[in-house]
Amino acid sequence: MNQPSDFLIISVILISIGIYGLVVKRNALRLIFSIELIANAVNLTLVAFSRMVSNPQGQIFVLFSIAISAAEVAVGLGIIVIAYRFYKDIDITEYKNLKN
Amino acid sequence: MIDLFSTPSLVTIVLAAVALFIPIIDALNKEKGSKNKIYSGISFGALVLALIIVIVRVVSSKTLPGLSLASNGVITDDVFGAFFSIAFILVSIMVAVSSWSYMKKKSNHAAYYSLILLSSIGMILIGYSTDFVMLLVSWELMSIPTYALAAFSKKDPVSNEAAIKYFLFGALSTAIIILAMGIVYGLSGTTNIYDSVIALTTLKSSLMPFGLLAAGLFIAGFGFKMGLVPFHMWLPDTYSGSPITIATLLAAGTKKAGFAAAIRVIIIGLIALNVHWSFVLAIIAIFTMTVGNLGALTQKSVPRMLAYSSLAQAGYILIGLAVAPYAAAGLAASLFHIMNHAVMISAAFIAATAVIVVISGYSIEKFKGLGYRMPITAIAMTIALLALAGIPPLNGFWSKLLLFGAAIDSGHQVWWGPYLAIAGVLNSALSLGYYAWIIRKMYFEEGENRVRQKEPKSIVAVLLFAIGFMVILGIWYGPVLNFATMASPGDLMQLIHIK
Repeated sequence: MNQPSDFLIISVILISIGIYGLVVKRNALRLIFSIELIANAVNLTLVAFSRMVSNPQGQIFVLFSIAISAAEVAVGLGIIVIAYRFYKDIDITEYKNLKN
Repeated sequence: MIDLFSTPSLVTIVLAAVALFIPIIDALNKEKGSKNKIYSGISFGALVLALIIVIVRVVSSKTLPGLSLASNGVITDDVFGAFFSIAFILVSIMVAVSSWSYMKKKSNHAAYYSLILLSSIGMILIGYSTDFVMLLVSWELMSIPTYALAAFSKKDPVSNEAAIKYFLFGALSTAIIILAMGIVYGLSGTTNIYDSVIALTTLKSSLMPFGLLAAGLFIAGFGFKMGLVPFHMWLPDTYSGSPITIATLLAAGTKKAGFAAAIRVIIIGLIALNVHWSFVLAIIAIFTMTVGNLGALTQKSVPRMLAYSSLAQAGYILIGLAVAPYAAAGLAASLFHIMNHAVMISAAFIAATAVIVVISGYSIEKFKGLGYRMPITAIAMTIALLALAGIPPLNGFWSKLLLFGAAIDSGHQVWWGPYLAIAGVLNSALSLGYYAWIIRKMYFEEGENRVRQKEPKSIVAVLLFAIGFMVILGIWYGPVLNFATMASPGDLMQLIHIK
């Protein structure tokens, strides 16, 4: 378990779990978890690649990416808190106002 | 590394200073009362200053490169970026000024204008970035404020629902873009866009599937924002649910920023990999046009109809991108249509804003008899819709003509080129169906009454500017077309192999 390819396999598994969660789950928080899982698996890929091509640019990229996804989740959670105030529930199947 | 006096740095400094300054003075100021007008005015001033900086730079400098790919830093200073900046700043100005009327009765003005300015900085930097890290950071600087803005009507469940849909798809698209950038980095060992494209031209054939996977992921990731067809599910809901000035910003601004990123990355990257894959873009273009126009035909709410129409227009723009490797005029035509569409769709959405502010209703039934009740709004809406449909003396006609012309030109090299032009013409005819329907409602049907309503002043100003832009550019389109031609790289093949 020390080759870059091992980390790539792990990140592919994590991405698959994330996509499964996005497709199957209907709870808004779980959807955010799934998206974060994909984002972090991608970060792992970048670090693994950075080791494979042996330059540090990939790791710098990951630092930016982590900071950005933190900001993104903060905004997303804020939106979901407001949704909870309307519906007392965060099941996205409830949100049907926009269907014509 | 970063030259402080290059256009992108100057514009960023001006806009960011104002964007951060507005919330600070709002927090320090204890006076009661709405400051909407002041903040709107300050944002307008900052955006105009930014516009002047960009225009002066383009006009004064003879040596500005068209589309410069190679750069030592993370941003470059070229005509391509300037072209997109002007489109984005025009959209932001129209949004900020029309918000003067729209935001009058609402709260949190400081945050609203500050977020609009931050989002426009992000859009501008996308046009200039030459490095994947910079592209990602500016992409998120554009996206995150718009998530908050889409949910800005806190008391309105519809706005919140629009924001949730937008946020979930937006966050997923960001993850997909980072994955694509990661794969390209793994294949090439650098995050500089130009260097990695050069590395991709000499890619081993055993690694080719990964290169194509990265290209596909880029199309998916940027396609979410551009609203290309398999990735468009959120778009009509978000555009019709979010506050309508923000829908303007999304339809006219962030959508075009997606195209800026796509030209910087996908078009040039695909050529490096294998040029035949732009057939995929052609198929997506046809589906996007058709789904957008068919969807719009059945809508009852005007913002929703405009959302589907902007979906269809993304398809037209994509024609130019798909034929870019085969017809030199393709990208220039796309850029020209991007500039035109930014103003046309803003004008249509802002005319709908005026109707919402005065009559308070989204439904197409509210547009009955608008020609008597709100004459300037009605005429602006009519001209915008005719320009979107591509009726001859207006600007939309010329850019569509050039796009379809480029598609026919590419027929010398690829069999599918002319079919794109045919699909585009048929779709334009189809789109006239629902554009003409709105116009008919406004002028040929009796509304509740014929009393002339007071139209909001700031919106009238924006609409008059938009009418001027659409009509004057329709008659005298030379300068903008020249500008678009300067910004487009011309022969893409040469760009990659000789430079």
